[in-house]
Amino acid sequence: MQTTLDADTTPAPPHIAKHPLHWRNRDYGHHWRNRDEEFDASKFGMWLFLTTEVLLFAGIFCGYAVFRMLYPEAWSNGSHYLDWKFGAANTVVLLISSFTCAMAVRCAQLNQQKWLKINLVITLVCAALFVFIKLKFEYMVKLGDGKAPGTFFSYEYAQNAHEQLWWSLYYVGTGIHALHVVIGASLLGYVLFRSWKYQAYGPTEYTMVENSALYWHLVDLVWIFLFPLLYLIH
Amino acid sequence: MMLSTTTLADSPSILQDWIFGGNAASRAAAQSDAMFLAITWFSIISFVIVIGFAAYCVIKYRRKPGVPVQPSPHHHTLLEIIWTVVPSASLLVFFVLGFRGYADKVVAPANAMELKVDAWKWGWKVTYPNGASSPEQKFLSEQVLNDGLVQQTGLQYPIFYVPEDSDVRLRMHSQDVIHSFWIPEFRTKMDVIPNRYTGYGFRTPKLKAGDTVMHQVDVYPDGSPVLAEVSGRDMWIFCAEYCGDEHSRMAATLRVVPREVFEEKVAEWGRPKSPWLLGQTIWKQQCQICHSIDGKPGTGPTWQGIYGTEGAFADGSTHMRDENYIRESILNPNEKVVAGFAPAMPSFQGSLSEEDLEGLIMFIKSPDRDPTTAGEDGDSAGSEG
Amino acid sequence: MMTTLDTHDSHAHGGSYFDGPPGLLAKIWQWMTTVDHKKIGVMYLFAVLFMFFLGGMAALAVRYELLDPVRTVTELQGTELVESTTGQRLAFLQDIMNAKSPNEVYNRMFTLHGAVMVFMFIVPSIPASLGNFFLPIMLGAKDVAFPRLNLMSWWIYVIGCLIGVFSILLGGVDTGWTFYTPYSTTTDADHYRVVLMVLAAFVLGFSSILTGMNFVVTVHKLRAPGMGWFDMPLFIWALYATSIIQVLATPVIGITLLLLILERTMKIGIFDPSMGGDPVLYQHFFWFYSHPVVYVMILPAMGIISELLAIHARKHIFGYRAIAFSSLGIAAVSFLVWGHHIFTAMGELAAVLFSALTFLVAIPTAIKVFNWVATLYKGSIVLNTPMCYALMFLFTFTIGGLTGLPLATLSTDLHLHDTYYVVAHFHYVMMGGTVIAFMGGIHHWWPKMFGKMYSETGGLIGCALVFIGFNLTFFTQFFLGTQGMPRRYANYVDEFQTLHEISTYGSWILLAGFLVHLVTFIMSLVGGEKASANPWGGLTLEWECESPPIEHNFHHEPIVKHGPYDFESVVPPHCDPKDYPLPQSH
Ligand code: HEA
Ligand code: HEA
Ligand code: HEC
Ligand code: CUA
Ligand SMILES: [Cu+2]
Repeated sequence: MQTTLDADTTPAPPHIAKHPLHWRNRDYGHHWRNRDEEFDASKFGMWLFLTTEVLLFAGIFCGYAVFRMLYPEAWSNGSHYLDWKFGAANTVVLLISSFTCAMAVRCAQLNQQKWLKINLVITLVCAALFVFIKLKFEYMVKLGDGKAPGTFFSYEYAQNAHEQLWWSLYYVGTGIHALHVVIGASLLGYVLFRSWKYQAYGPTEYTMVENSALYWHLVDLVWIFLFPLLYLIH
Repeated sequence: MMLSTTTLADSPSILQDWIFGGNAASRAAAQSDAMFLAITWFSIISFVIVIGFAAYCVIKYRRKPGVPVQPSPHHHTLLEIIWTVVPSASLLVFFVLGFRGYADKVVAPANAMELKVDAWKWGWKVTYPNGASSPEQKFLSEQVLNDGLVQQTGLQYPIFYVPEDSDVRLRMHSQDVIHSFWIPEFRTKMDVIPNRYTGYGFRTPKLKAGDTVMHQVDVYPDGSPVLAEVSGRDMWIFCAEYCGDEHSRMAATLRVVPREVFEEKVAEWGRPKSPWLLGQTIWKQQCQICHSIDGKPGTGPTWQGIYGTEGAFADGSTHMRDENYIRESILNPNEKVVAGFAPAMPSFQGSLSEEDLEGLIMFIKSPDRDPTTAGEDGDSAGSEG
Repeated sequence: MMTTLDTHDSHAHGGSYFDGPPGLLAKIWQWMTTVDHKKIGVMYLFAVLFMFFLGGMAALAVRYELLDPVRTVTELQGTELVESTTGQRLAFLQDIMNAKSPNEVYNRMFTLHGAVMVFMFIVPSIPASLGNFFLPIMLGAKDVAFPRLNLMSWWIYVIGCLIGVFSILLGGVDTGWTFYTPYSTTTDADHYRVVLMVLAAFVLGFSSILTGMNFVVTVHKLRAPGMGWFDMPLFIWALYATSIIQVLATPVIGITLLLLILERTMKIGIFDPSMGGDPVLYQHFFWFYSHPVVYVMILPAMGIISELLAIHARKHIFGYRAIAFSSLGIAAVSFLVWGHHIFTAMGELAAVLFSALTFLVAIPTAIKVFNWVATLYKGSIVLNTPMCYALMFLFTFTIGGLTGLPLATLSTDLHLHDTYYVVAHFHYVMMGGTVIAFMGGIHHWWPKMFGKMYSETGGLIGCALVFIGFNLTFFTQFFLGTQGMPRRYANYVDEFQTLHEISTYGSWILLAGFLVHLVTFIMSLVGGEKASANPWGGLTLEWECESPPIEHNFHHEPIVKHGPYDFESVVPPHCDPKDYPLPQSH
């Protein structure tokens, strides 16, 4: 095990090693003084972008709080409809994926090309699993019951007139989150593709891996808030 | 150095008249004007100091060839502190006064008369404590002709009566989108929001010698008003929150009258009416803005001669316009949309009672005359519109 | 090093930045795909000016309609009662725009005007055009931190504008630029125009976020050696504060508009009162963005004014740190005052709180104004077009800001809210503030951007016409508002007619002023005199490049040895010491 985790010292096949996208061949932007500054800047930019994402979700949380205050019963009913087990399962899935994702960054830094790919694959599998659980055991089942947002709401046993609002917020919140999962997975997929094809990432060139991972952590973080708010608090 | 807006309010200036048309109708309104004026004076003084100094520099220090810049400090701590603290202090004063004036405007005494205000696209209705509402209309232009008859032309606005020198509180609710009930002469407005009550209070002014209005004292048999000039004061009510096509015509008149007149009127409207008259009243209050009875299409189709004929709808179908259809059109207007019209009509479900609907149907059946009195009165040509 | 990528100095001795490859198509393609911040800035400049033109035309239509009160009167003609509708001057557009009534034409016009002016013109205006062009140069950098992101932001802007214009071509929307629910979710229910317009604003928001992020990172990471935070020109400070607001506020409008779109297309009910939703929540969300965004509009303008006053008075700016920090202060407090737009829809407690906070935000602005005026003291003031615009800014913006005070005061706002007083207030700050500073900035940097001088006579005539026209148009509106004229009214009661007429005539003078500028600019581009590298004797770094700058801005990486406003001790580069003498007593 220990040996396989070592840095990848086997030279890449010549067509990859010469490819402009191979990490050893990568240049940095002409307006930077050196590579480090460019890397710092990219990471800083990513953090700023993540701030905007947090604020985007803040809007939803705000709506959640307001309506929770206005219609406490509907909110309490709403969260009872959700099965915390699926929520918890998805939380675990995301936490694992966050870990493997962080490991992927480390592998890139240490030039462990093989494990970089393995970690990314595990992360992507987790992403798919998350979306699958969400769709198959939650959305589909609930929509089948008529627990749909707004006007589409047709659940016969609703106990409160405002339950449709709860579902609206549920779908908007988890829907936008799921969209972020898909976007994050696409980014990581792109990273995987490039490292497969060109060994594009390594100790001096891992900005993209790091930034995609940051994004993925954010997706995870948002879920950590959504889960208790929607599933656990009654 | 506390400014007292109360004393300012008691001595209105020419500037104030000029800025506001000098028509503040209540003490709270006069105080609000005074407040505004105080801020404006403060602003004028700040402006003159700032721009005056700039102008002085521009004249004094115009660039002249060969003359170099004169050195001067790049900052000056004391000066900077002064010009931070002084404005902050004045702003604090404005804030406190503004807050007090706000409380005066919004809160009404507990014994105030409560009027319920309903708003919809595009009209207002005021319901008095006894459940009655005003059927009277004011025309944009009312002229007394030589023979003493009154010619009324132009747009019509409902008239809401209030007694002079008394406290009024509004409880407001909207049936569709957000509106805003503004009486400029009381200097107050509040949004009228669906699914929520809002409101404010005001004290009506005492009538003065010159305050007169054209006033309905009786009705001719055909329903048109007999007018006379009596003591009273009219004010505009405007809708101040954008609400669509006729937003700019969603106006009404607030009429302050002597208490006896007010009480007589409200008692009169409270008496039961014939269904047709009830229908006519509701039409005037709520439907006229979109539906004429003289054949001209407005936002909605005219009601002239629609009853008992086939209607054509946007989806190509036709249907007999009978009582059930009319009922459905009022309660669920988008069910069948008349060809050539947008589905613009709000639903009146919940805001019209069974009796009201009955009346409206009677009225739509024969908008020109009351069928129950038709026999007696041959020439009652409608004078509205 | 790979040859496919730029080596670090390969272009250092090239010609001006707009020397492209030969061939028209190749040139166009080069501009469309350029990552050069200068080219992107220039493209933005023309795009936002075009949007200004579009919004201006709608404004003229609005004013044209308001020449008459418009009333439906029933007149006695002979023996017949005839109904006539007089003065609905925009009625001729009713069929073209497929509107239900002439009033709807008017409603669409002011919505179009507001939406174009705010989302497509004024928010991107200064940062994306002058900011893009000059921020890296003034920092001594070769480009912004993320050039490709910059290009992306430009194309997102273009797409957003196209969606908006498409919605207008389909007939436009009549919601007002604020898209208040439930009106916006129910109007034109059978049509997608509203969704398109909201989508446009949503997309434009992304462009704004990307530009903001880019600027923040650039300021942090790309300052030239020797340039500390307090050696930055104040324009940069202003852009920095602006970018922070953009990054923090725009996502909230993003989610709001997204919810609005979902509401309209799927009726999810969050803002729909008939389903238990809360329409006032929408207003809170909306203003949480749209109040900070008014400072996105004004802060860059304030930055420009700081530059113009200092250079054209040859004077060190007074209170540099106070101005820099007040920009940050405004940015911070601006997030806490949004409620002052909805005093008439909220509870007493909230209203009181928001009123107090609003007064707080006026103070840093007051500080700036005082510092600017103090800068003029003992200066060497030249009355050229940029300086005249800067002085005009002081005049009109101060009026605009001061008239914000009665709006922030609770009791008076209950009267003034949603009247022409508000309309006058915000035109005095947006038009009289931002647009005026923008015009000043364009003239000031024109020689640098295009390498040509403009005609000073043309500039001054345009400036004078704009000043007169502007004040005629909008000063009257303060009185309209106090006397009871509500905004967004296609028809009004007769007594307001005179003031409305004056206002409309004023708008025609404004048009004349801008046309004079347009002609002056075109003449300058076609046959203007060649500009020297430093026509005004500036000390900020952009005056050390050539006019127009070379592709990577500087021949050598600049090293900053003096502050941006040390006019009293430094002779400006490329300038004859005879023209810019040092003070005698030093
Ligand atoms: C560039 C844009 C801009 C700027 C900078 C401002 C600046 C300010 N605005 Fe304005 N505002 C708008 C754009 C802007 N506004 C828009 C677009 C709307 C309406 C939107 C709509 O409804 O469609 C609006 C509406 C608006 C309202 C809501 C009105 C209503 O609808 O009822 C309020 C209320 O508080 C307000 C207040 C202020 C205040 C206190 C400032 C302050 O920041 C002003 C500070 C400036 C000064 C004070 C002047 C300079 C200082 C001196 C000369 C020194 C002396 C001064 C003192 C001692 C105080 N504005
Ligand atoms: C940047 C913001 C901005 C600017 C610059 C303007 C500019 C103008 N606006 Fe404004 N306006 C708004 C933002 C702005 N407006 C907003 C947000 C609203 C609220 C909308 C709503 O209620 O929803 C509003 C509403 C509004 C109203 C109220 C409508 C109502 O409530 O019913 C009126 C009425 O007079 C008006 C008039 C004008 C006029 C005459 C100009 C003039 O200053 C325009 C002058 C410009 C031109 C005539 C164009 C000339 C340009 C060229 C010739 C191109 C060449 C240019 C160069 C080379 C520089 N506007
Ligand atoms: C906002 C404008 C508006 C108001 C106010 C309004 N309506 Fe309508 N009405 C319309 C429009 C538009 C139509 C045609 C489209 C449709 O059928 O929905 C219509 C159609 C109708 C019809 C069917 C007419 C036909 O020719 O078949 C009836 C009946 C009717 N309205 C009754 C009323 C009554 C009663 C009121 C008042 C209590 C009222 N309306 C108020 C806009 C309005
Ligand atoms: Cu009702 Cu505007
Ligand atoms: Cu604001």
